[in-house]
Amino acid sequence: MKLKDVDVAVIGAGPAGMAAAIKAREAGAENVVIMERAEELGGLLHQCVHNGFGLLYFNQDLTGPEYGHRFIEKVMDTGIQPLLETMVVRLDEDRQIGAVNTQEGYITFKPKSIVLAMGCRERSRGALNIPGTRPSGVLTAGTAQRFVNVEGFVPGNKTVILGSGDIGMIMARRLTLEGAQVEAVVEILPYIGGLIRNEVQCLHDFEIPLFLQHTITRIHGEERVNAVTIAQVDGRRNPIAGTERTIACDTLLLSVGLIPENELSSMAGIQLDPVTGGALVDELRQTNVPGVFAGGNVLHVHDLVDNVSWESELAGESAAKFAIDGKQGKRGEIRVKAGRNIRYVVPQTISGQREATLYMRVSEPEEMVRIKVGDIMTKGVRVVKPSEMLKIELSAEILKKLKEGTKEIVVDCEKRGGK
Amino acid sequence: MSQIETEVLIIGGGVGGAAIARELSKYKVDATLVEKGVDFGQGITKCSSTIMCQGANVLEFRPEYHNSRLVWAGMPLMEPLCRELDIPFKKIGSLELVENQAGMGHPEKMMRRFNEWSGKYRPAGIEPLQFIDRETLRSWEPNVNKKFIGALYDPNIAINDPVRLTIALAENARRNGVNTLLETEVLGISAGTDEFEVQTNNGSIRCRYIINAAGEYVGKLAQMVNADDFVLYPAKLYQAVLDKKVGGLINHLVIATENGMVTPTIHGNLFFGISPGSQRLGKAHDHSTDKKLADTALRHAQTLVPDISAGDIINSFVGFIVFRNFEIGWHECTVGVSRWVPRFINASIGYPGICATPAVGKEMIEILSQQGLQLEENPKFDPYQKAMPDFSELSDEEKKKLIAQDPRYGHVVCRCETVTEGEIVEAIKRGAKTLDGVKFRCRPGMGRCQGGFCGPRVTKILARELGIPEEEVTKKDGESRNLLYKGKELLEAQQ
Repeated sequence: MKLKDVDVAVIGAGPAGMAAAIKAREAGAENVVIMERAEELGGLLHQCVHNGFGLLYFNQDLTGPEYGHRFIEKVMDTGIQPLLETMVVRLDEDRQIGAVNTQEGYITFKPKSIVLAMGCRERSRGALNIPGTRPSGVLTAGTAQRFVNVEGFVPGNKTVILGSGDIGMIMARRLTLEGAQVEAVVEILPYIGGLIRNEVQCLHDFEIPLFLQHTITRIHGEERVNAVTIAQVDGRRNPIAGTERTIACDTLLLSVGLIPENELSSMAGIQLDPVTGGALVDELRQTNVPGVFAGGNVLHVHDLVDNVSWESELAGESAAKFAIDGKQGKRGEIRVKAGRNIRYVVPQTISGQREATLYMRVSEPEEMVRIKVGDIMTKGVRVVKPSEMLKIELSAEILKKLKEGTKEIVVDCEKRGGK
Repeated sequence: MSQIETEVLIIGGGVGGAAIARELSKYKVDATLVEKGVDFGQGITKCSSTIMCQGANVLEFRPEYHNSRLVWAGMPLMEPLCRELDIPFKKIGSLELVENQAGMGHPEKMMRRFNEWSGKYRPAGIEPLQFIDRETLRSWEPNVNKKFIGALYDPNIAINDPVRLTIALAENARRNGVNTLLETEVLGISAGTDEFEVQTNNGSIRCRYIINAAGEYVGKLAQMVNADDFVLYPAKLYQAVLDKKVGGLINHLVIATENGMVTPTIHGNLFFGISPGSQRLGKAHDHSTDKKLADTALRHAQTLVPDISAGDIINSFVGFIVFRNFEIGWHECTVGVSRWVPRFINASIGYPGICATPAVGKEMIEILSQQGLQLEENPKFDPYQKAMPDFSELSDEEKKKLIAQDPRYGHVVCRCETVTEGEIVEAIKRGAKTLDGVKFRCRPGMGRCQGGFCGPRVTKILARELGIPEEEVTKKDGESRNLLYKGKELLEAQQ
């Protein structure tokens, strides 16, 4: 395949990119390339050696590498061309891609359509602005996960973990199994940041101390971290004086949020949603730049890989259709607005003509609620949490209820019963 | 344990020591530069604000300050120096913002003193200051707070990369004959009648002249030989680096007397910090940040440029300056021969340090000559050297060419700063031994993810190139290993 003949170029070969590429191929795109900066396909799935993958997509409980492998095989079987160790360094508004690798050097080409599947990165210590010294031994949970599960090292023994995101909790268990001592998981919110199943299986089952409504107020140690000071926080998340205590440790892991990796998107003039950090898309996952689609964590941070795969398939299919007939499906213009206790909804616009899958997160945990999508549908939910993404399917049937000329649909999370 | 003899011993491989070493290499002198750290420029130098200024806000153009004179002499030398060493240097100009008529006092005073000063000394290459009005300010800096009614514009202010400059100075000094020794810490000094005996962790050094450029340890070194009675006060300056995506918010250094400063950096980030006028005294050698300083600096920066957001901060650190006794002058430098020990010369610049260093180098030559050192020109002195390639700055064509020559330049290791394996290997060849050493030479880990992605990869390359196991790789030498255990090592220890 010559690069000038590429129909669909997928940037990133994690779960999102692989699903998008496979679907694009299945939807009829001849020439599909998948560009990956790492040495192999699969993205972060390789370092996620724990289970819990594929419960929805395959109805099976798989590990990350197992889940990834199913897609890798399919990529290889369907004639998709992988460009490995290839870093896309430029993306222009007219879909021109600039990339480098050791084989071809600097390459440029213009595919008929593009799927953005660059995933996300972890928030670093610098972004948190944690006061104190700047020693070694402070790293993000995902970097530690790579060191432990792929490279074969344990960063340290006595470990404190800031943030109760999923990777943080999974690493608490992992490090314990590797013989390290996890002294504390410290979470600023009154509830954990990740999935319930991880709180139970990773923290409770291993008796790892969890400090809710606490934060780290200081990092100590000149060369290697030797302690952290933690303190309780008030309702406005400010440390309460007098509640400080110092925990000796040689390692601090950070699991304090993920940021969609959209520097390339910005380069191409793609508009981003300030809440999700990802592109503004419609139900076909098309961005404002014609022929550029996005799916997975680059669009908004998911908690389950299964949804990443599904969403990216949608983006891949849309990209294939665009590549084949050269026409952009009319971009959705009905705004989907986050209402009461809804932090965000993706897609941000829909056409109302085609079925749409809405992904959303609440701002605060609540019980006995109903999700109300404008006045076209409601769905009762027993418990909602910011850490667990909600998914609502709007079928063509339901969308028929939309009134002519609707410009905006508000999605609310309403209390059921009582008031 | 070795025994070295040298004519001139320079202690301290920061920008000051390196600049002096490089200046000395223009002469046929047996000189040695020792640095206790594993790399050059990793003390005060690396915490610099990177701004080359005349210190208007601090020194206020006061000719009675030795510091002022050095800075003024050094400023015009900086750009040619950076050109010789192939170090990035960019004149950006500064804008001292004025909020109202009452706030005109300081800028007017500065303007008056500048004119007086430049009239008297006529420094080459220094352009005059001027006032700009509200409209001009708006058109130059649309993102500066609208409340400011104008500014004092100083076109001379520039930015560069102080650590790269320091490394290049030391490298150039070495090429021209200066002996440079890293990981060599001075532990004691004894003064004989016409020479010094210096104890280090690597043996002893006999020398006739000592230049004490030990940065924050300059006082400790002087005390070793009872060379001075000065007291040094450390001052903390909180500084934060912002994501490159907001790097274009402003074009000039903007500063307001009470409100800190915001500036672009040479690498395209934005940078803010507390202005020198509001710095605080710290504890000696305490480089930690604290929340109060951080919050104040952010608030001040937002007063200048309201669009600055905490969410765009990618790193923060404390700049560290040592000042001499208050009674002599808060900002006065200590450059000169010890009052008590002949041939022991202190070189502590204080604020604003880096732009003064070329002049400190020249002054040091005079001092050494007055102290009896014979100085004959070095006919082989070569001022020029080439910096290592900066892949992200190359044109598409240049990128292609470089990868064709060495495919490792086609392997991007740091995604945020687009740093290739080729650059990392070259940095290690040129002396980087730690993650920080690589980072300060070619920037992997300096971007928005702060090494989250490239950290394990750079560790691997360092281990491979240095021929050491990965768990021996350190962040900044000493006890700063990144990986304390091999897999299963902890489990085996428990059994």
